[in-house]
This record gives sequence, structure tokens and C-alpha cells, in this order.
Amino acid sequence: MPDVLMLACVVMAATLVVGLVPMVRSTSSVERMLTAQLLGTNGVGLILLLAQILDMPALVDVALVLALLAVIAVVAFTRRSGGSERA
Amino acid sequence: MNTLSWSFLDILLVIALVLLAGAALRARSLRQSIILFIAFGLVTALVWARLRAPDVALAEAAIGAGLTGALLLTALRNRPSEESRLVSNNGMRWGGRWGNVAITVSVSLVALGIGWAVLYGMNDTQSGRLAGQVGSALELSGVSNPVTAVLLNFRAYDTLLELAVLLAALLGILSLGGGRATHCTVDPIATSLRGWLVPLLILTAGYQLWVGAHAPGGAFQAGALLAAAGVVQHLAGRAHAGLPVGAVLRVLMVSGIGIFMTMGLWTFLGGRGFLAYPQRWAGELILLIELFATLAIAVTLILCYLGSEPERRRITPAGSKP
Repeated sequence: MPDVLMLACVVMAATLVVGLVPMVRSTSSVERMLTAQLLGTNGVGLILLLAQILDMPALVDVALVLALLAVIAVVAFTRRSGGSERA
Repeated sequence: MNTLSWSFLDILLVIALVLLAGAALRARSLRQSIILFIAFGLVTALVWARLRAPDVALAEAAIGAGLTGALLLTALRNRPSEESRLVSNNGMRWGGRWGNVAITVSVSLVALGIGWAVLYGMNDTQSGRLAGQVGSALELSGVSNPVTAVLLNFRAYDTLLELAVLLAALLGILSLGGGRATHCTVDPIATSLRGWLVPLLILTAGYQLWVGAHAPGGAFQAGALLAAAGVVQHLAGRAHAGLPVGAVLRVLMVSGIGIFMTMGLWTFLGGRGFLAYPQRWAGELILLIELFATLAIAVTLILCYLGSEPERRRITPAGSKP
């Protein structure tokens, strides 16, 4: 069982790195922000897996905080782009 | 099999970290740099989680990945737009080539120094000394989480000074800023988010504050979560971001350092020494200090976000401002 979790962990980390390609190469801020959110979701999953593998329940709290705060950045971002159009 | 998987995971995380750092430095506009920096913070939190350091991962998730992004985006929003192209392909405009060389050399030296310190610490035969001391004295501290024991009891002095640094930074911002806090547009997304996100953030902040006594958590994480609740309030059109106004706000700003100093003087006058808590009450005193430190940190971060104190008069309905 731990092996399966570990494998899932590596696969998720690999998708995270693949997800970085549009992040690094894209020229559009919106695309980058969306990719950052995707990475956020990926990261939350990865931390939850690590919490199981390393047997550290405290990491679940880390995932909780990440999931809650990832929203703030995207809302601040959308507001910023809306504000620039109006200004 | 397992060692191989761990090495794969480590390599992937290192690739992600280096890619993001490079991209953030080379991005064409500051706005894109900020987005890359948010992602960098996220991967950093992942790395700390993988290194079995949940306390650092939590701090990075709360402050590095979460709130700093919103703070930076708002700071950028309040800058003249042509300034957002400060970073060009040739690097920083103000430094030129030699400036870049100087920055690279000094940063590399600092990195090498830190690397050497880590290597030295790991190879030092006595490296377990401090951790062992904390472990053996943990029962005296009033809490069972060694990190909280160090931050709020054994080295409480450091935390007191950190709060002083935060207060000094806030005073600097307040003396420079002004008039920006009332500028507030209503964001439909934020308005619909507010209803469920703000209570969740406040609840999680309370949980982090409480859990800090026996598991990773504590005042800084709780303060960052509370501040995020304030940021959502502001984005949803509450110009004062849920903060009180006038004297109450000022008291909250200094409450963290105030309660700390009061405790310190009380124990000092009681003949125990500065911030040497009586052992029987240590747990309760630490919780009390952390409670006020949380409030002070949250207020400080929200005010950093707003850039100035909210207006004294009450804003009547949400989002009535232009």
C-alpha cells in the first residue's frame, strides 16, 4: 500500500513539473495564474499523500491552509485586472 | 523501490523549484513575476512538507504562498503602470551589468555560507545538542509542541522582537501611505466568496491558534489566516476590511507586543526574570500571548494590504463607494 501511495506521489510531482511548462513559457498572465491554481490543487493533493506516507497528520493542516489561501491570490488577481480596465 | 521513488520525487521537486525561480527572475513584467513567485511559494511549501518540517511548510503555505501574493498584487496595482516593466531582458534597469554581477556574487556568497553552515551542522557530532535540550525541557514549557515551546517560552524574547519589527514596518507603511484604503471596488466573485470563505478562514485561524500548543500551528499562521479573511472582506467591497476604526484599531496594533511586555514586566517584578513564566501557568500564559499576537499580526497584515488606516467614519452599505 505505501508503495502505491509513493507511486501516486511521484506521478503527481511529474504532472506538476509538466504543468510548469506552460507556466514558464506562456506570455499571458491569465494563463499563468490559471496554471498556478492548477499547481495549487496538485500541491494540496501531493501534501495529503505525503501526510499519509510520512505518517504526519500535521501535513493535513498544511494542505487545508494552502487550499483556503490559494483562493485569495486568484481573487486579488482578477480584481487587479478588472481595476486596470476601469482605470 | 522506495529509495528510488524518494529520489525521483526529490529530483522533480528540485526541477520545479529551479524552473520557477529562474522564470520569476526572467519574467517580462512584475505582474508575471508575482504569479511565478506565488507558484514558487507553493513548491517551497511542498519541499518543506517532504523534508518532514510541517511547521515551516505551514508558515510557508500561510504567509509565503497565500498572503504575500495578494499583498504583492495589490502593491503592484498601486504603482504607476509603466513601472511594471522595470524588469527588461537585460536585467534590472537601475543596476546595469555590474549591478547584476554584484547582486549575483553577493547572493551566491550568502547561499554558499548557508550551505556551509548546514553541512557543518549536519556533520557536527554535537548537532543534536539543542534539539536534545529542548526535548528534555519540554515538560517545563507548558506546551507539547517543541516549536511553540521554543518560540513562546525558551526563546520568547526573539518572538517579542519579531512583533516589534512587524510594528515598526507597519508604522513605516502608515506614515508613507494614505488615502488608498477607501478606494474599493466591488468584485462580484469576492462578494459571493465572502459568505463562506470568511467564516472558514476565521474558524481555521482559531484552530491554528489552539492547535499550536501540541502540533504545528501558532500565532503567525493564525494571524495570516485572519488577515486573509480581512483581505476577502476588502475585495468584497468592505472598505475597512472588517477592521475597527480609531482607538480600538491602534490598541489592536500594539496588543501583541503590549501583552508580551506586560507579561515580561510582571514576571520580572515578581523576581523570576524577564519572560520567565511560572511553570504552573505557562500553558495558559502562552495561549494568552498567542491570542493577542494573532490579533496584532492579523491587523498588521491587513493594514499592510490596505496601505493606510481605514477612514474614521463608518462606511454604510457594502460597496457604496465608487
